[in-house]
Amino acid sequence: MRFGGTTALAGVDLTVARGERVAVVGASGAGKSTLLGVLDGTVTPSAGKVLVHGTDPGSVRGRELRRLRGRTGTVRQHLELPGQLRVVHNVNAGRLGSWSVSRAAWSLLRPQGTAEVAAALHRLGLADRMYERTDRLSGGQRQRVAVARLLVQRPELVLADEPASALDPALADTVLAVLGELAAERGGALVACLHDPALALRHSDRVVGLDSGRVVLDAAAGSLTVAELERFYGVAR
Amino acid sequence: MTTVLDRAVPPAARLARDRRRWAWGLTAVVLTAAALAGAGLFSGSVLNPGGSAQFGRFATAALRPELDPGFLSVVAGSALVTVAYAVLGGGLALVLGAVGAALVSRRTWGRRRSGWLAARGLLAVPRGLHEAVWGLLLVNVLGLDPWVGVLAIAVPYGAVTATVFADLLDEVPGGGYEALRAAGAGRGTAALYGLLPSAAGGLLSYSFYRLECAVRSAVVLGLIGAGGLGYQLALSFTSLRWEQVWTTVYALGLLCLLADVGGRAVRRRVAAPPSPGPGRDPVLTTAVGIVVALVAWSLWFLALSPAALVSARAREQLSYVASAAWPPSTQRSLLADVAATAVDTLAMSVVAVVVATAGALLLAGLAARSPGAGPVRRAGGALVRLVLLLLRAVPPPVWALVLLFVLLPGVLPGALALGVYTLGVLGRLVGEAVEEADRRPREALRAAGASAAGAWLYGAVPALTGPVLALALHRWEVAIRDTVLVGLLGAGGIGVLLSARISAFDWPAVATVLGAIVVLSFAVDVVAERARAALR
Repeated sequence: MRFGGTTALAGVDLTVARGERVAVVGASGAGKSTLLGVLDGTVTPSAGKVLVHGTDPGSVRGRELRRLRGRTGTVRQHLELPGQLRVVHNVNAGRLGSWSVSRAAWSLLRPQGTAEVAAALHRLGLADRMYERTDRLSGGQRQRVAVARLLVQRPELVLADEPASALDPALADTVLAVLGELAAERGGALVACLHDPALALRHSDRVVGLDSGRVVLDAAAGSLTVAELERFYGVAR
Repeated sequence: MTTVLDRAVPPAARLARDRRRWAWGLTAVVLTAAALAGAGLFSGSVLNPGGSAQFGRFATAALRPELDPGFLSVVAGSALVTVAYAVLGGGLALVLGAVGAALVSRRTWGRRRSGWLAARGLLAVPRGLHEAVWGLLLVNVLGLDPWVGVLAIAVPYGAVTATVFADLLDEVPGGGYEALRAAGAGRGTAALYGLLPSAAGGLLSYSFYRLECAVRSAVVLGLIGAGGLGYQLALSFTSLRWEQVWTTVYALGLLCLLADVGGRAVRRRVAAPPSPGPGRDPVLTTAVGIVVALVAWSLWFLALSPAALVSARAREQLSYVASAAWPPSTQRSLLADVAATAVDTLAMSVVAVVVATAGALLLAGLAARSPGAGPVRRAGGALVRLVLLLLRAVPPPVWALVLLFVLLPGVLPGALALGVYTLGVLGRLVGEAVEEADRRPREALRAAGASAAGAWLYGAVPALTGPVLALALHRWEVAIRDTVLVGLLGAGGIGVLLSARISAFDWPAVATVLGAIVVLSFAVDVVAERARAALR
């Protein structure tokens, strides 16, 4: 995996099984976000092979590709939520994979499926913010809106890039528990990049450590301690 | 000791519509429907089947423009005249704007708000009248003198520039200025050292934008007789020489392209300087140098003599027109005409902006350059941008003449002509907005399985709606002035009334119509400004 002259990922050989919760750790620039990008299809690898849900995303097109992509959901590091939309629409955007264009357009005028949206927001403690404009929310609240979007999308593979960076410890635990449950509901997997070693150990079964684009650690979470993990974050911590 | 506060149970979330926005939306829908009805779209036939053969001849001539060397040299000479008027008119406008800015800046007036409002209000008069209207008025005072073309651009542009310059200067935080004033510096010196450095980038950007616009205005002035490409276009059109028309249109396109590209390069450079090193930016210095050289050349080329401005004849004529025009006519039949044509003008401007906005929304996705697009998409985009360029290079009255091939005379051809021209401008602006919009929300939705249309609706449209509506409202302010221009050349609305009264030398009636035009443009400005505020 190369970007211009910079190699972001190299020689990564990783298999994530159904039911697994994987924490990806590593210093800034280690290639964590690129790894998630390869998994959700926003980054095309320059070499090597990727199978998502057993299929190579490069081998399918059109409707089939959309269906495949709909089975993966991502909480992005920068969230990518248009601030001008109300929260309900930003959550409903998780259903664009299954909604027709006309239904999606109509929902912008008259919000559809509000019961599920309300339930998702309630799980994350945001029930009263449903009709607020997203840019009126704090960073932590927006982060939970991005998680709520995944709750209505109901993907099998749940990817999360620092989903708890703007949350207090209690909320961080809630969000990671919710993401884990979400993956489990459909018998899928969770892959989360996490900055906080303790959080990573509490909410994962397996820890993968990256350094300069290479996998340097791949172990069961139970076999690691917080102190051992901390060295992966280098000067950042 | 800690107290645990009982948290109030949050009330169930309820969808609360923004009443103000809904009211504006409803107003826009009603206004559009009324305007379309007023333009005669729902009543009777509007098509002119007899003209389609002529239109066919006109359209096919696009592929074989006149390339005779003699005609080409005429076109080249005309282009020089247009450039000279644009440079001198625009340059003088910048000087007037700089002086005017000092007069209408909030800092000049301090807490004397009524004085400031009066100064601003005074500028509404030169601003509210189109360049062509100024041209027709000035020609009656100065006779056929190159000053007419220069002043016709400089007066309205100077007024607009003054308000914008003043706003830019007022936006600069006042700390430095106040400190210099407190240290005993005069107002001028304090502004020079405390305000100008911070505002310089914005002022320079806007100056080049104005010069860009001046090229289009110079073409329009040619249509009413000031010479240059506009004059050549009108001449070829009225003598039905379609090949010559197209040669001139392509020349106009080229000129507009040069102005667009040059202006945009300067504005980009100001917005993102390469590196804040010591000394001046060589690109900007060269650009300013070119403009100064062009001004000097234009002065020589047009043989502009300051004496003509203060000649005995000009003074005599001015005092005659001024005394004849006062008091303005209050004849009942004239007032009824003014009211009826004002309604037509409003309808035309609304139809124009609605057509242009709809077209711009359809084309913007194509007009925007997108990284990583295939060759077909790229070629399509270039073609759309070229068409938009030609749409805005040709002045709206000429589009009205073209539309008269296929439409019956009335309000509709004028409105659509304005719409076509405005589409050329708006399509480019919306395309640029799309280019600058953040692509990541769209890509994120695509990655989660959304269709292209769905990702566009939820990932791009929300961020673009506000800016695009603001642009459309801004173009409406311009369109109401351009409607007067289209009318001056016969396509309906209040401009027809004005040109009839001017040709009859009925100065009291002219004064009344001019007053009505200023009030109408001012009213549109106020409404558009209010609507924009509701969007923010």
